[in-house]
Amino acid sequence: MTIVEPEKTNLPATVDPEGSPGQLVPATDGADTSRPLGVFTRPTGGSGWRSWITTVDHKRIGIMYSCTAMVFFIVGGVEALLIRTQLAAPEQRLLSADLYNQVFTMHGVTMIFLFIMPFAAGLMNYLIPLQIGARDVAFPRLNALSYWIYLFGAIFVNSSWFLGGGADGGWFNYAPNSSVVFSPSHGIDFYAVGLQIVGLASLIGSINLIVTIFNLRAPGMTWWRMPTTTWMSLVTQMLLAFAVPVISVALFLLTFDRRFGATFFDASAGGDPFLWQHLFWIFGHPEVYIILMPAFGMVSDIIPVFSRKPLFGYRFVIFSGIAIGFLGFGVWAHHMFASGIGPMSVTAFSLATMFIAVPTGVKVLNWMATMWGGRIRMTVPMLYSIAFVAMFTIGGLSGVTHAFASADTQQTDTYYIVAHFHYVIFGGGVLGFLAATYFWFPKIFGYMLDEKVGKVAFWFVLIGFNATFGPMHVLGMEGMSRRIFTYSDYQGFNLWNLVATIGAYTMAIGVALFLYNVYSSYKAHKANPVDVGPDPWDARTLEWTIPSPTPEYNFDPIPTVHELDEAWYLKYGHDEDGRPVKIADIEDVAQKGDSVGVHLPSPSYQPILVAAGMPFLGYGVIFNLWFAVLGGALMIAGMVGWALEPPDDVDTPHDEHHDGDPSDDAPAEPVDSSVDEATDGETNDEAEATSATEEPANV
Amino acid sequence: MSDTLTAPASPAAESDHGHGVVHDTNTGISNEKLGMWVFLGSDCMLFGGLISTYLLYKNRPLAPGVTGSTERISEVFDIAFTSASSFVLLMSSLAMVLAVTSIARGDHHRLRLWLGTTAFLGAIFIGGQVYEFTEFVREGFGYTTNVSASAFFTLTGFHGVHVTFGILMLLTLMVLSFKGRIPQSKSEAVEIVGLYWHFVDVVWILIFTVVYLIP
Amino acid sequence: MNLLSHLPSPVRRTVHGVIGAAFVLALASCGNQDTYPLTTLSPKGEQADTIHTLVKPIFAIAGVVFVLVQVIILVIVVKFRKRKDEVDGEGEPVQIHGNTPLELTWTALPALLLAGLGVFNVQTIFELENRAPDAIEIDVYGQQWWWEYRYDLDNDDSPDIITANQMVIPAGRQVELNIRSRDVIHSFWIPALNGKMDATPGSTHFMAINANEPGIYEGQCTEFCGLSHGYMRMEVKALPEAEYEQWLTAQQAPPAEPGNELAEEGRTTFLSQCAYCHQVNGLTSDGEYTNDGPVEDYQGLDGAAVPTVRPGVAPNLTHLMSRERFAGNMFPLYYEDGTPDEGALKEWLTDPEAMKPMMPDNLQGMPNLNLDPATVDALVAYLLTLD
Repeated sequence: MTIVEPEKTNLPATVDPEGSPGQLVPATDGADTSRPLGVFTRPTGGSGWRSWITTVDHKRIGIMYSCTAMVFFIVGGVEALLIRTQLAAPEQRLLSADLYNQVFTMHGVTMIFLFIMPFAAGLMNYLIPLQIGARDVAFPRLNALSYWIYLFGAIFVNSSWFLGGGADGGWFNYAPNSSVVFSPSHGIDFYAVGLQIVGLASLIGSINLIVTIFNLRAPGMTWWRMPTTTWMSLVTQMLLAFAVPVISVALFLLTFDRRFGATFFDASAGGDPFLWQHLFWIFGHPEVYIILMPAFGMVSDIIPVFSRKPLFGYRFVIFSGIAIGFLGFGVWAHHMFASGIGPMSVTAFSLATMFIAVPTGVKVLNWMATMWGGRIRMTVPMLYSIAFVAMFTIGGLSGVTHAFASADTQQTDTYYIVAHFHYVIFGGGVLGFLAATYFWFPKIFGYMLDEKVGKVAFWFVLIGFNATFGPMHVLGMEGMSRRIFTYSDYQGFNLWNLVATIGAYTMAIGVALFLYNVYSSYKAHKANPVDVGPDPWDARTLEWTIPSPTPEYNFDPIPTVHELDEAWYLKYGHDEDGRPVKIADIEDVAQKGDSVGVHLPSPSYQPILVAAGMPFLGYGVIFNLWFAVLGGALMIAGMVGWALEPPDDVDTPHDEHHDGDPSDDAPAEPVDSSVDEATDGETNDEAEATSATEEPANV
Repeated sequence: MSDTLTAPASPAAESDHGHGVVHDTNTGISNEKLGMWVFLGSDCMLFGGLISTYLLYKNRPLAPGVTGSTERISEVFDIAFTSASSFVLLMSSLAMVLAVTSIARGDHHRLRLWLGTTAFLGAIFIGGQVYEFTEFVREGFGYTTNVSASAFFTLTGFHGVHVTFGILMLLTLMVLSFKGRIPQSKSEAVEIVGLYWHFVDVVWILIFTVVYLIP
Repeated sequence: MNLLSHLPSPVRRTVHGVIGAAFVLALASCGNQDTYPLTTLSPKGEQADTIHTLVKPIFAIAGVVFVLVQVIILVIVVKFRKRKDEVDGEGEPVQIHGNTPLELTWTALPALLLAGLGVFNVQTIFELENRAPDAIEIDVYGQQWWWEYRYDLDNDDSPDIITANQMVIPAGRQVELNIRSRDVIHSFWIPALNGKMDATPGSTHFMAINANEPGIYEGQCTEFCGLSHGYMRMEVKALPEAEYEQWLTAQQAPPAEPGNELAEEGRTTFLSQCAYCHQVNGLTSDGEYTNDGPVEDYQGLDGAAVPTVRPGVAPNLTHLMSRERFAGNMFPLYYEDGTPDEGALKEWLTDPEAMKPMMPDNLQGMPNLNLDPATVDALVAYLLTLD
């Protein structure tokens, strides 16, 4: 998505001599001369694209993450339209069976691993430091590494289209259909290696964000003052940290089977196809919550803003999220009720699955209770949030119907399941993320998305979504099996398939309108810039106390937090009835964003260099080991550079920038050093060595 | 429970504080150390998956008729040899502890000595593993001989890769120390590598018990 | 209904109306087995009934919750929407942070409800595992992309009947299936009779079916199994007990002799072209019948080594014309009036891949043997005699 031009986002580039007033003079400049190892100087940023590929700023990385994910949303969306076009009528051969199998496999892989996870990762990357009052994430360069690995991994997976065809075994790729005997093309090799790469990006990101949330909260930002987005992101990242290694094991075994002649999943050689199923779903079920949890958190932050009420039962929402996180690891075999795992296992997992509905239900009820008695402003983010609650509930309820194992044996692998998980993942995840995008857009880019176009797009998306996936419940109950490349006229699937296809195109129009909205709002902003101020929505959480778009250094000084919903309590007191009374304008209490010389981590060439080696390792495994040598050389060069890279601006005094009134928040004093720790810590030489060398241990 | 977890109000600390000083993070643990802990937690799942795979396959194939040798890889284990190399790895953890205490005292000479010892013992372990693997291959157990062999080589191989990366980290520390880039104040880097090293050791004790000792 | 008049836009009203109505209509209609041969809502067997008994109240409860939630959301949207005359800062909502007793209630209530339902859940799971003393056992093999059924009538561990795609069972008697796979994972599913059970290589899975009355019940492979997964279908034909006995006898009879010259010629072609994979019980390379039973591990005619054919067998054609369809139960063998559909068979023999996606080069599915039309005619004439 090139609509948002880097330089024009108003995010100050690290070095931007012509920066608008109030932007910082980069501190990196003066430090160049005294570098201990001259060859490995760190880039000074520059402007334009170069500043983007060397950036370690969590905000830019977040933007790149989400924009790249949007590109893959379009790719996955086109694949979805191909599927729907094929199924619009019986016995169509728009796509051959082979191509159809590749397209639905890549649709799933793209949407899950290349769109929704990284899109959420981008939002989390951007928002977490702002919500906890930090200046960046704990490991800025690892953060950049995570993004670049994701980008190269995603390109790698999709390069399979030009190198003999995509994976054709479904996103779940059950063994032994995924073996080289039954799937001789290289598609599944790309799947196995590509997801390994993308998984590594998630793992690095998760370690980074977990440490950020644990360590870099501003003073006063206690666990119980943390916004729900941050809380649910923490649960998400925990899930990632513990689920990704499991899929890694599965993918390693698959790769060794396919490339090196092992027989882990070959029953005729003593292997066990169930091993794949268990490993895949031990990852695969937490994965559902990995997708949903950030959306839960974001919607929990959005609904209170537009209801003008605090989140109902904040701690219950948090605890239910944690409960879902734990339970999410104990229900994986509900994907295997028809696999023949035996009635005892089925019973155990069936009961566990039923009870995961409880914390989920608690959340839905709390969202409704938050809106109840509020004064709801029907903005686009709120529309999406309400739709999220309504649609996710449908997905949740259909989920309960197949928690009952016997019922599931009728429903599983039919379109009923397709309907279910699209209501969960699109109705829950994507609608939530669209709400978040509209909501935080002004914070990120400094201008609002148009509400009128936004509303039209919303109705297209919502109606299209229901028209697409609603009928699939019916199709599933009529017995239409999943993953079939066509169906017969006499089977009675014609009508609802046609409706679903029309719905899919309606939804596509909605998404196109969303993209148009981004474009046209940007144009309008260029032609007639309007200052949205720090807080255009009259919102509640900490990120709304700083200017929009966010200054490069986020906060200066680091605030001291006194309340959950800090921004709200800066603006409002309460009368004796508990109704809010305005006590201050946000402009008066918000930070001004006029600090100069704030110490920030320097950009680095190394992350992109290390990441660029990865796809070549992959090509090496698949085609010719010489590629791997090339990739390995790139990575080693990057890692050596990483380890020997000078610490950023060692000579810049850390205390020059306190030109604000220090008496403002005296207790905040120590915190500045905590932020310095955040940035310094990452660049300690030895720590470099550690972080640089520990990564490959997991490759 | 929560209030104690906020950023401590300790005086602004610069990077030259010594070992054991509370970090100015909310948890009091430095980012690097906490990150290593999270990584090791995550890595537990990796070894969990690999060990489960071995346990599932160690007696397979059960019946003749399926392809692959029905002999078990465990039949060619040389417990005495592996015990010895396990002991070496265990001793390397001791050397690692001594390295950490050396730098804590500011004894750079001993630091390098013990880092070197740790890396050397680790290298002996890896050498032992290479020898063991070649012995197995000589006795007819290659990677693809049967599924139990594949699972064994995959599990121990991944552990070997972990040890190798540990050795690389130790050597990097040594180089940095010789260049004078590990002052006493930055002793934590050694501690963090130590964490990793002990983890890899503990995992090996688990593998040795589960794979070699339990029939 | 005056709530609706406050709705933010006419669109919303229409949407909810249309969707609601559509769902009710759709659900009511998709239980009809004639229109929807694979429907899950019209159980015709004991096990499917058991499942349906569990499903109905669950759907009812889920439906009630669904309506409740959606209505409450609508009410919220209508009732608590900011009106044009409301000014920020005046009469803003009371800031309620929560209500612990309420929270505990709506945590505990669903938990209790689910715990109650859990009892029925567990009951049903084990009910479906019930075995019957007089049950018939059939071995089911999934294979890319068709099903084989083996009947061992005398319990001597060697099958007495091997047939494909159409399983014949007696109505009203429990049939216990041992489901296996020869290559990848498939899933056996006859919605009218029971749920699904995967056919996994290396394991045998149990599933019972018991058709209430005679009839044909269609099914579809429901675990993605490669290229032609969509064209891997099957059916169960339930017969009255007496007719079932007749069917058993007929199936154990030796294949029919070709009655005419063309069919004779077809048999010769069959021997040279088809018999490497397809079995006709007892047929030897000189065209004689030596025994009357199917060969369990058929590896091509007279044990001819067919090492490349994986896993070595194609559908047993001894009584092909006793079935209704061929090629993974895809294409009818008969017209509706009961006359054989020679055209379909000819088309198939001329270019099988045009009808069903397969990968014969990778030994998955039937290869195109490049037969000339005259040979195809003869072959079809022979196949038609195999009743």
